[in-house]
Amino acid sequence: MRPSLTEIGGAKLFCIATDKFKSEYFSLRFTLPLEADTVQQNSLLTSVLGRGSERHPTKLAINRHLDELYSTSVSSRNQRMGDMQRIGFSADLLGSRYVDGGKGVLPEVIDMLAELFYRPALENGLFCAEYVESEKSNMRDAIRAAINNPRGYAMAKCRQMLCAGEPFALSLIGEEETLSAITPKTLTARYRHVIENAVPTFFYVGNTPAEKAAQMIAASFPHFDKKESAYRAIVKKFEGEPLWGEEEMPLCQGKLSIGFRTDISALHAMAPAMLLLNEIFGGSPASKLFLNVREKRSLCYHCSSSLDLYKGVLFANAGMTPGNRAITEEAMLTEFDAIARGEITDAEFEAARRSLDHSYRQALDNPAALSSFYAKRALIGNTETIDSFRQAVARVTKEEIVTAAQHVSKGATFFLKGNLSEEEDEE
Amino acid sequence: MTSSVQIFESELLGETYYRVTHASGLPVYVFPKEMSTTHALLAVNYGSVDNVTDANGNKPFPDGIAHFLEHKLFSNEDGSDSFERFSAYGADANAYTSHTRTVYLFTATDRFADSFGELIDFVTHPFFTKETVKKEQGIIAEEIRMCRDNPYDRCYYNMLEGLYHRHPVKTDICGCVGSISKITEKTLYDCYQTYYRPDNMALVVCGNVTVEGIMAIVNARFSMPPAKRPPLSSCLQEPATVHRSRVTDRGQVAKPIFSIGVKDVRIPVDPAERAKRDAAMGILSEMLFSESGELYNDLFDRRLISPEFSADYALTKDFGFLQISGEADDPDAVLREILAYIEEQRRKGLSRKDFERICKVEFAEWIKGFDSTEEIANTLVSFAFDGAEIFAYTQLLQNMDFDYIQSLFEEFFDPRLFTISIITPT
Repeated sequence: MRPSLTEIGGAKLFCIATDKFKSEYFSLRFTLPLEADTVQQNSLLTSVLGRGSERHPTKLAINRHLDELYSTSVSSRNQRMGDMQRIGFSADLLGSRYVDGGKGVLPEVIDMLAELFYRPALENGLFCAEYVESEKSNMRDAIRAAINNPRGYAMAKCRQMLCAGEPFALSLIGEEETLSAITPKTLTARYRHVIENAVPTFFYVGNTPAEKAAQMIAASFPHFDKKESAYRAIVKKFEGEPLWGEEEMPLCQGKLSIGFRTDISALHAMAPAMLLLNEIFGGSPASKLFLNVREKRSLCYHCSSSLDLYKGVLFANAGMTPGNRAITEEAMLTEFDAIARGEITDAEFEAARRSLDHSYRQALDNPAALSSFYAKRALIGNTETIDSFRQAVARVTKEEIVTAAQHVSKGATFFLKGNLSEEEDEE
Repeated sequence: MTSSVQIFESELLGETYYRVTHASGLPVYVFPKEMSTTHALLAVNYGSVDNVTDANGNKPFPDGIAHFLEHKLFSNEDGSDSFERFSAYGADANAYTSHTRTVYLFTATDRFADSFGELIDFVTHPFFTKETVKKEQGIIAEEIRMCRDNPYDRCYYNMLEGLYHRHPVKTDICGCVGSISKITEKTLYDCYQTYYRPDNMALVVCGNVTVEGIMAIVNARFSMPPAKRPPLSSCLQEPATVHRSRVTDRGQVAKPIFSIGVKDVRIPVDPAERAKRDAAMGILSEMLFSESGELYNDLFDRRLISPEFSADYALTKDFGFLQISGEADDPDAVLREILAYIEEQRRKGLSRKDFERICKVEFAEWIKGFDSTEEIANTLVSFAFDGAEIFAYTQLLQNMDFDYIQSLFEEFFDPRLFTISIITPT
């Protein structure tokens, strides 16, 4: 399933034409530079645009219209990719064969996304003050709610130390202090800047041919005469002494996040080896962290690692009784060092290869996962298919994984220390 | 093949599945589908609520045993861990315990037969020792601490505490550190022998498989004998009132979170009636509480609630409740608004237009669910254990009548059956 590429002015439409699914998927994303003075406004933009358009001026009107389009669900998206910020919307719609004898709702859904982004509800040429204030208040709540998720909190703190001074360290929803300066005027100006200077990338999975989908886009969206922003990401090893951070919270458990950096990016020839390294370290239930730190030593319930190759960062996370922090940390690092020394059993190597291969084949069954695989790669100029990537993974040797480990350096550790004493815990 | 095959077809969905009863009494469901992934699960109709033996709620085993057993079955007699075996075959394995069932599962894109054999083997060959039980107590204690730190989990259980006087649904599925410390290898074997029996289990496979291929493996590998005794049945008496109408607690949250529960006290005994009530409550709760409803938009526009606000209905053979959850500065005010809105709807009558729109929504969502082998297998097992059939549900959704929804609305929302659980910032 290789996506076709159709150019619509300066915009790109990636399309996987298939009748395998009962649902269809359509998305648009703007890829913008991740910057301290715009990140929060970009994020707020997706929320305010979701509040009302010219034709559907309230959230109620938008949601009722989407219900009528056979429960099309539209979600706003906001994510980091390398040192870029991707914002936009994606829609999950019912397959055309189930709608009015095959007519489908794709033209209406495409028009709805165009409406949300390009024909917003305005008052005297500016975003409605009520919507801006209400979304600022929701964002303030979201910023404060970081403490509701201790694991995410610890990982975010670790990321901030690991990539200090780089765009990747920025919070996507920004800080509370900068929120009050945003007004309908500044946000509308930001909006105008985005639509005048950036071009969206479209992705479609469904049974409408690419040319037809491109015509629908051309009919609903303005003409795009620009090209998308140049992709950028600082991918390098961590230099200097590793950093340490700690905070206390009223929790029973402690959350540890260890951050590593690597100079191997998604475009690097050793990318498949890095992915396998992560699988062996903590990427699956057959990993060293799961089998040794959790199962053999029963130090944790949750202990795993995750890798982001677009930035070259690897995080190992665990939750433990606060008093066990030091031995758990040591146990986790011991597992990484074992990989670097080449202590990888045949079983671990084989399990990692199979687990990674399985995750790519799984994507073939999910329209959103297919889109995610191809759209991100397209942005960095990689046109590899899932199958060719799987073959690259299959060719990796144990020695290459050991070499990849030499490209990884520990940079920061953050410990969120739970300070609640064990309560009376009897039946 | 040794047993007769029942065939279920849906012209609308373009799907067919098969039900075969193995000689042991084990029901096997095979749903062939051309996908890369095949999802298989072996489920036991035994969850945390089944830990009762009489009407007074006496418990034969320590709380949390169903979940403990689920963890422990992955350890094998030769010292190996089944997770490792699944990984060697490239499958993604997991297990979970809910209030009503224990499910062992995997997704495979390659070497399906090896993983499928392993699934049958490890679930049907329990092996526990003093040492491995002790080790697991450490891991599960960490899981319990993790859940305790989770304000949303606490809010949910506190809501159940408010809704139920003695029904075991209010007990944490994992138990507590104290209760799991009482679990021994002997209690695990006793529990296994009592509930893990072919007629109390179901095997479900959805993906690139055939019914013949599946039954060949089942016949070769499934060696559990048929159950000799009739299954244990609990007959717990739960009063038709709420236990407490308000439960509050403090937790690590920035803003108060809440779960409003509405207790269902008229659970149909007949499985077909239960399936109809379930489908109708799904439609009704969408009509009243979804993001395309008046109530949500009114509360949201007045900034009484945060954007995330949801309503879910759960129904089983002996408990049912509607849960409405969200985040608000003043959750009690949200409850008052909800009660006032229900009163207003009672006076005005429900909107037929809303009903028609939501039926369209529910129908579309139901069809979309048939894109995922995992979702299909999970839906199949939950319907199977509840005595219902999934394709019949499609017809239920297509033929739902407005009058039934209207009468359900009038009967269900009794203000005396509401409870609110609130977690406020520490």
